[in-house]
Amino acid sequence: MKRELRITAYKCKACGRIHYPYHDRCLSCQNREFESIKPEGDPRLLTYTQIFNLPWGFDVRFLVIGVVEFANGVKSMGQIHVDSIDKLELGMSLKASWEPIRVVSGEDVFGLVLRPN
Amino acid sequence: MRDVAIIGVGIIPFGRRDEDSLLDMLAYASLKALDDAGIGDQGVDAVYVANMGAGILQHQTSVASALVDRLSLMPAAADAVENGPASGASAIKNGLLAVASGYYDTVLVAGGEKMREVVGWKATDFVATMTHPEVEYPYGITLPGMAGMFTRLYMEKYGLTQEQLMAVAIKNQKMGTLNPYAHVDMIITREGIQESPDAVVNNPVAADPLHFYDMCPVSDGAAAVILCPAEKAKEISQNTPVIIAGFGQATDTHTLQEREDPTNLKAVTLAAKQAFKMANLTPNDVDVAELHDAFTVLEIAESEHVGFFKKGEGGKAAEKGETTLTGKIPINVSGGLKARGHPVGATGVAQVVEIVFQLRHALDKNRQVKNAKVGFTLNFGGFGNNVVAFVLRRSE
Amino acid sequence: MALDMELESVLRAPALEMPPYPAKVITLANSKKMVVRQAKRTEVPTLLGAVRPTLAIDKDFYDIVGARLYAELLGWNRHRVRNEYCLVGQIDGYVVGIVNGRMVDKAIGMSYHTMAIDRGLKIGTHLFAAKMEYHIEHLGQEEVWITAESPIGFRRWMIEYDLIQQEGVQHELGGATSYKLTRDLYFASKSRLFAGQRPVPQDLLDYALQNLFIADGKAIKEKICGTLGGQQ
Repeated sequence: MKRELRITAYKCKACGRIHYPYHDRCLSCQNREFESIKPEGDPRLLTYTQIFNLPWGFDVRFLVIGVVEFANGVKSMGQIHVDSIDKLELGMSLKASWEPIRVVSGEDVFGLVLRPN
Repeated sequence: MRDVAIIGVGIIPFGRRDEDSLLDMLAYASLKALDDAGIGDQGVDAVYVANMGAGILQHQTSVASALVDRLSLMPAAADAVENGPASGASAIKNGLLAVASGYYDTVLVAGGEKMREVVGWKATDFVATMTHPEVEYPYGITLPGMAGMFTRLYMEKYGLTQEQLMAVAIKNQKMGTLNPYAHVDMIITREGIQESPDAVVNNPVAADPLHFYDMCPVSDGAAAVILCPAEKAKEISQNTPVIIAGFGQATDTHTLQEREDPTNLKAVTLAAKQAFKMANLTPNDVDVAELHDAFTVLEIAESEHVGFFKKGEGGKAAEKGETTLTGKIPINVSGGLKARGHPVGATGVAQVVEIVFQLRHALDKNRQVKNAKVGFTLNFGGFGNNVVAFVLRRSE
Repeated sequence: MALDMELESVLRAPALEMPPYPAKVITLANSKKMVVRQAKRTEVPTLLGAVRPTLAIDKDFYDIVGARLYAELLGWNRHRVRNEYCLVGQIDGYVVGIVNGRMVDKAIGMSYHTMAIDRGLKIGTHLFAAKMEYHIEHLGQEEVWITAESPIGFRRWMIEYDLIQQEGVQHELGGATSYKLTRDLYFASKSRLFAGQRPVPQDLLDYALQNLFIADGKAIKEKICGTLGGQQ
């Protein structure tokens, strides 16, 4: 089942700057009114890393985590599900989905998951 | 506003201190500082305690009140200060403003952390609580992970190399072996961490492209300073007063993704600029610096952003030896966070303690920067979203 | 102590043939060379001297690991444990780590203990890998069963080696569920977890074989425990 990306970004109604996460005042012009928007288009990889010493709560050997920018300017962190970091390069296009990213107290926690096209 | 002097310092060896509680360590460092200032049997007007994790790791809160009680410093005013890894410098800033304002005359600032009480994965998780709770933390991101992503971009933009990072790691670990308070007492070599075929196991990737030896250790420890008005320093203490000539503090966005250029550590530049302006000095005037090298990349990036080197030149300078004890600008001759260790709440205070030692000319020849008169510290909170800088100068 | 060989023939189980572990040398992060070689039975009394101080260290489960390792080495020395081996890591002759295990049968190995005496140089990591190498590549076994007293070490190996959980299968040492390393898993991890060069330069090897030093009890305790508490 393909889930909708549960990312709500906020576009300043005064200057158009896009925010994610939420801010009460625009980072550029301090305006307080925003339009809620969803990420659109395929995300592009801005930076990434492969982490081996993980926080408590993860029973895998490593996580690949990156920051992406969607076509409409929304930026987000996400887990990249790839078997080798060698398959990644800055600027590449990825596919986004909303899937479990960790388990907390036996319950799945969902978030942005990215895969190479 | 009055000039403020540091008249006493105390620090205990950083490392794994299973037998000491957090309060034990804070008390030991504080007593050392009080004794060093010559007021070991007296009270102070106020106490500031820097600590990030007692509530999470030790299930203990109100640590400043607890320390006042432990040291019989009542009825001193007391506040705990939490600013992530910049808690120490933030606490000193608070103490500085309290004395400079004229309201308090003697202030104890102590910083401490006890991180080795929990297993490594839990310490990593505790540190990760600094990241954004909704859009970063859930993904399993860690501070090394943030540094890894930053390093990738820095390498792309400025041509920073693994060899340059390694130069910082080797330098700081070597200096750590000369520092009796350092957690890590071990020389590392290029052969051992890069050139030998066995290096892949000795120095594995920790957060690509950063490796194991690019990271600081997880440490227990504490440090403390005593502040007073500069005009009263000589009547209180025999020590050569060290003046806090300037300070600066600046913030940036919480998440890396919302920075226009994530390689631009704006808060570092701004905090340093404020501190130099207040001190009426420039980066060229600095004789010795303590930068926040939780990761080797940060020493290089900070050395550029505070103005010691142009952007993209810091790594080359490190490789050429310009940041060693006898180099153009000695950086982290204490061993830095890399070797001295990083008990989070203690670090900012420990940086200032080291500079005081340097400016008093109190160290052995193998660690003393010759004739040091001006020192600089940078304490980096979060991943560069809250930064505090000090310029210190020897009085006379 | 004189042995009654008639009794010994009853009490000593027949041994499997165990090819020797070929010594190797590992360059550590500080460029020191650690020789990893097989210990001889006759060296057990010396090795027990390195283990004995750990019986008083309760942090990181050193006391229980030390107590069990002590018993295992003694048992091996007196021919009361079947098909056991012991590998040591030496730097300038000094013992910095000890690992041991045994062959259950031709196919299955049982990993016993890993004790690092010098810390901070990944000695435990290197020596644990060396014994996995011994089981799989030199003893020719199919799998090695693993458990641990220290939850930290156990979790680290479990994740690092991607070990297979054996629900309901008890390791000889008892305790938690056992895990196993198979030949496939070993070779999949080899390039990132296994270090060391062969042959060991002859002078280095001769020195290690002829000189088995152990640090004194206080030094061992300080190496393991780090900074001791109290005001400093």
